[in-house]
Amino acid sequence: MLGLIMLALFVVCALFAPIITPYDAVEQNIDGLLIPPSWLANGSISHLFGTDALGRDLFTRIIYGCRITLGSAFITVVLAMLVGVSLGTFAGMLRGVRSSIVNHLLDALMAIPTLLIAIIIVAILGTGLVNSMWAITLALIPQFVHHTRSFVRAEMKKEYIVASKLDGASRWQLFAHSILPNMTEMLVVQGTLALSIAVIDISALGFLNLGAQSPLPELGVILADGLDVAYLAPWNVAVPGMAIFFMVLSINIVGDGLRSALRKRVSH
Amino acid sequence: MIQILVRYCTLFILTLLVLAIISFSLAYLFPGDTLENLTGLVPQNEIQRAALERQFKLDQPYIFQFFYYVGNLLTGDWGYSFTSGLPLREEVGIAMPATIELATYAMLMALFIGIPLGYYAGIRSYSTSDHLINSASITTYSFPVFWFALLLILVFSLQLDAAPLSGRISLLYNIEPVSGFILIDILLSDVENKTLAFKDALSHLALPTFAIGAIATASMIRITRRSVIDVKHRPYIAAAISRGLSSWQIFFRHILRNALLPILPLMAIQITTLITNAMIVETLFSWPGIGNWLIQAIYQRDYPALRIGMMAVSTVVITLTILVDLFNRMIDPSREKYERATV
Amino acid sequence: MSHGLVKRLSLCICTALLVASCAKQNKQAFYNTGIIYCSESNPVTFNPQLDTSSTTSDASSHQLYDRLLDFDPESGRIVPSLASSWLVSDDGLTYAFQLRKDVWFHNTRYFTPTRNFNADDVIFSIDRWRLRSHPYHYVSGGRYPYFESIGLAQNIASVERVNGYRVEITLKRRDSSFLANLATDFAVILSEEYANQLAQTGTPGKIDELPVGTGPFKFDSYRKDHFIKFLRHDNYWRDQMEDGPTIDEALSYNNTVESANQEVENGQGGEDTVQDGTAQNGDETRPVVEQLIFDITPRSSLRLAKLMTGECDATAFPAQTELEVIRAKEDLTLAEKPGLNIGFWAFNTQRPPFDNPDVRRALAAAIDKNTLLEAVYFDSATRAKTLLPAASWAFQNDADDTAYNPVLARKLLADAGVKAGFSMTIWAMPVERSYNPNATKMAELIQRYLRDVGVEATIVSYDWTTFRRHLQEGLHDSVLIGWSADNGDPDNFYRPLLSCGAIPSGTNRAMWCSEDYDKLLNDALQTDDIEERTAIYRQVNRLLYERLPLVPIAHAYRYQAYRNELEGMTINPFGGVRFGGVKKAL
Repeated sequence: MLGLIMLALFVVCALFAPIITPYDAVEQNIDGLLIPPSWLANGSISHLFGTDALGRDLFTRIIYGCRITLGSAFITVVLAMLVGVSLGTFAGMLRGVRSSIVNHLLDALMAIPTLLIAIIIVAILGTGLVNSMWAITLALIPQFVHHTRSFVRAEMKKEYIVASKLDGASRWQLFAHSILPNMTEMLVVQGTLALSIAVIDISALGFLNLGAQSPLPELGVILADGLDVAYLAPWNVAVPGMAIFFMVLSINIVGDGLRSALRKRVSH
Repeated sequence: MIQILVRYCTLFILTLLVLAIISFSLAYLFPGDTLENLTGLVPQNEIQRAALERQFKLDQPYIFQFFYYVGNLLTGDWGYSFTSGLPLREEVGIAMPATIELATYAMLMALFIGIPLGYYAGIRSYSTSDHLINSASITTYSFPVFWFALLLILVFSLQLDAAPLSGRISLLYNIEPVSGFILIDILLSDVENKTLAFKDALSHLALPTFAIGAIATASMIRITRRSVIDVKHRPYIAAAISRGLSSWQIFFRHILRNALLPILPLMAIQITTLITNAMIVETLFSWPGIGNWLIQAIYQRDYPALRIGMMAVSTVVITLTILVDLFNRMIDPSREKYERATV
Repeated sequence: MSHGLVKRLSLCICTALLVASCAKQNKQAFYNTGIIYCSESNPVTFNPQLDTSSTTSDASSHQLYDRLLDFDPESGRIVPSLASSWLVSDDGLTYAFQLRKDVWFHNTRYFTPTRNFNADDVIFSIDRWRLRSHPYHYVSGGRYPYFESIGLAQNIASVERVNGYRVEITLKRRDSSFLANLATDFAVILSEEYANQLAQTGTPGKIDELPVGTGPFKFDSYRKDHFIKFLRHDNYWRDQMEDGPTIDEALSYNNTVESANQEVENGQGGEDTVQDGTAQNGDETRPVVEQLIFDITPRSSLRLAKLMTGECDATAFPAQTELEVIRAKEDLTLAEKPGLNIGFWAFNTQRPPFDNPDVRRALAAAIDKNTLLEAVYFDSATRAKTLLPAASWAFQNDADDTAYNPVLARKLLADAGVKAGFSMTIWAMPVERSYNPNATKMAELIQRYLRDVGVEATIVSYDWTTFRRHLQEGLHDSVLIGWSADNGDPDNFYRPLLSCGAIPSGTNRAMWCSEDYDKLLNDALQTDDIEERTAIYRQVNRLLYERLPLVPIAHAYRYQAYRNELEGMTINPFGGVRFGGVKKAL
């Protein structure tokens, strides 16, 4: 329950960012460098989370950061799901040696670390948020392919599918009407898993300067910017980190809840 | 049995081939001059360029180039790095063991702490201690690894001065790299103050290993707990209870083996995540591993290094994954297509 | 518990404590023999003749080599080093140097000296950059940026060997800054014997990669982006002497040969006082530093962190934001001194529209220097009106200065035909320097100011070595960079930065060449009279204000941050860090 509330909060932040934030995310304010957050002695309420080394309001940046990180992670997952499910269904409906080669190959490629894929893509295409999204999409696809494939293969053996086939349904009809509706639950579960991975990976790439670039207020970038003044002004490091942490935590809690609910349904 | 081995060998070679193709094509895909990307050498004039092109068969069809490239890889001629000018084989040879050492210790930590805790939580599922362990593990698991490492540095290194934050060992020591594993190398070396050096290396290992290990442990706890709960609800356990077996007997005879089996396939994913986390954490701790090396290479656009690094890391990861899969297959032949357990 | 058990237990505990304390002492004893310095980037080469960057000087000139003369860090005066005394002829054209005896070069894995330092080494070191025909001139590239920028090679008529320990240098024109130039970091003395050995094996380039000098440390190993390891030079000549030459001896420019010989005899008496590797500082026996290690750490926050945990004993270029932190910590020392440096914004005057002085004036008026000072230097710098800081004797307090005037800027730009939305590049150094601790931040601020007057600026940066190479090729529109003086002479600011001769050597970032300017500089060198020279430099400042090839921004303080355990650390107004004579006591 708590998880759901937290997640809802983040989604609201992401969607309504320009309305809730008091300042501009990239505007520098020379007079207000490194103002402490409002709960410390020297802070003021006009800058809720304080400011960073260039005078930018941290609260604004965090809200926009949630939007960028969560938003791009979401898009990445949706994209990976679309591609992964299509490939997986196709592979699941295959038979014979071809299918097992493809399967094993995909499984093996699933083992390549996300960071490595991201590095290669950045080397080819250059840095930037969009390129890092491509990299993470590529890294998440094998997961969806694998689970879709096994699901489809398991389903294909079930009696209702055999019945539909006997009825004369084509492959496409089988997929669209029989398998897909049953797959949604599995997809949602996999989706939340992938979302938490995507959020961490996007912010990690932003942190390493391989993804989003300064002054774009992505949460990982904000963290990296704050690193230089970490000892002087620790809120620059603490707050963005907390934001990412709570975002991932809420996704994980919600995901766990969904999985338990799914399991209870299946076992009864 | 032989069949399985043969199958896995073919799979292994096939995957390596695919990787080699990708690695080779990167020389063309990366921006810049193909010859330089391929070899790491910058030809000074036209004559050198022509000679190098002939040597690497760039004037012939792609397939010949590729075979020559694979041949080079196998013999150990991996080209040179743009930034340092050193042979890449040397650089990877230094960097790779450092990462493997870190990952190994973290994995051991995850296995020896995570599995028992996971069992405990699973056996006592939905009790208070289980909730405690579960919440702790989901919290730790949600930490972004780079932030976690940062917090460790800020608290333990800077505030409490309890552990160093950079490198594998103080630069004052000159340890000859024999195996690449610093703890082994210290014992093998001939410096006068081995105990000092050993303690120094341990203190340098402490924070990075904990950063990666904690998250891996949390993961392990969740997987084990889930597996144990699943097994607990199987009918044969109920049957055993009704037969009158004590908890200990049930635990040893039935739960242990059956719960362990499904998590083995998941180990492969764990290894991947572990290595990714290790690569990220290395940059924060200036740990001279392959992750740090690759990230420096991308900052400086050192294309030959990226190519070989990618090949090296992928090979290691895939070898480990396939070994784990093979091991799993051998000890549990009952599954025809093993399903990977869920969390 | 029985009595015997208690006894045994306490014995165990005592032994354990003893072992632990011994271990701690051992640990301290071991760590006292090595100093780790956090340096900020890779040196370009190990021969400072070939490069002007302070990173290169720190890694080579300050640890590996000696010069004929040195600057006393307290008074700024010229003191003897490898030259124990010197004579200047009345017409100011001939300088005779008496060289020190019993100075040994480094004994390393790759070179063993068979003779000590003598006149041949001096002649080799100078002729290498002076004579195009010298066999070693084009080794490692053939660029000697500092000497080229001051045109010294053209001014030296001859360098002659009078005997094994006496060298005479004759100039073509009077140059009152000649001695000061010989005391800079770049005028190091190389080993001629080593050069001959390398020439015979056909690998002359190694002289700059595997260096041999006479300095307090010798080269051991270098791993790019990681570390440089130096070992103590056992036969370092300063260690052999009981005390160094006194300031009075140094001040008397007209030393006779007899007094010079007397000095040398004093130096010879110190040989048997070095024993067991302990220093002879009176009664204290402190372990001598056997290893000096440069831990190459480009990020300044990481350098600070390592300083705080003790993984580094001293650090380079603390960022402005970190100074307060260092001051607040009790186990760290922050030494500060007004610096002889200048941070500026230079325009590439060979590229239109920056060849138009009005455009340059407009851009200068578009920025508010005070804001830059606050935001980037955090008030540890003074606003610069001209190139010279207050520490120089030729400083002009009432010089003209550009003011913040965006209206004027827009007008001048429009008059010059520069349209709104005009785009230009600002190149920002990726490294910290005392004259500019954060060029990227300054560039971002300037970008904002320029946007207000309708100019779109893009910030460009590369890794330091690539950056300087591209600057030399003139690929920039404008650059944020600076200069730290190498000696106390004002000519050392004006000539390498803006004279025509400094363009090929790469130190003239504005690529500006003006005959009037060069003439004024040369006139200033013709006289030794301070008043006359100051008057000429006022004219130079006026000329620079009218033409504005660069906008002077700040003169920064110089800082040295190190742990309290280091003793003997000095802060040098000319920059750099020297570890000869530094001891560590944990």
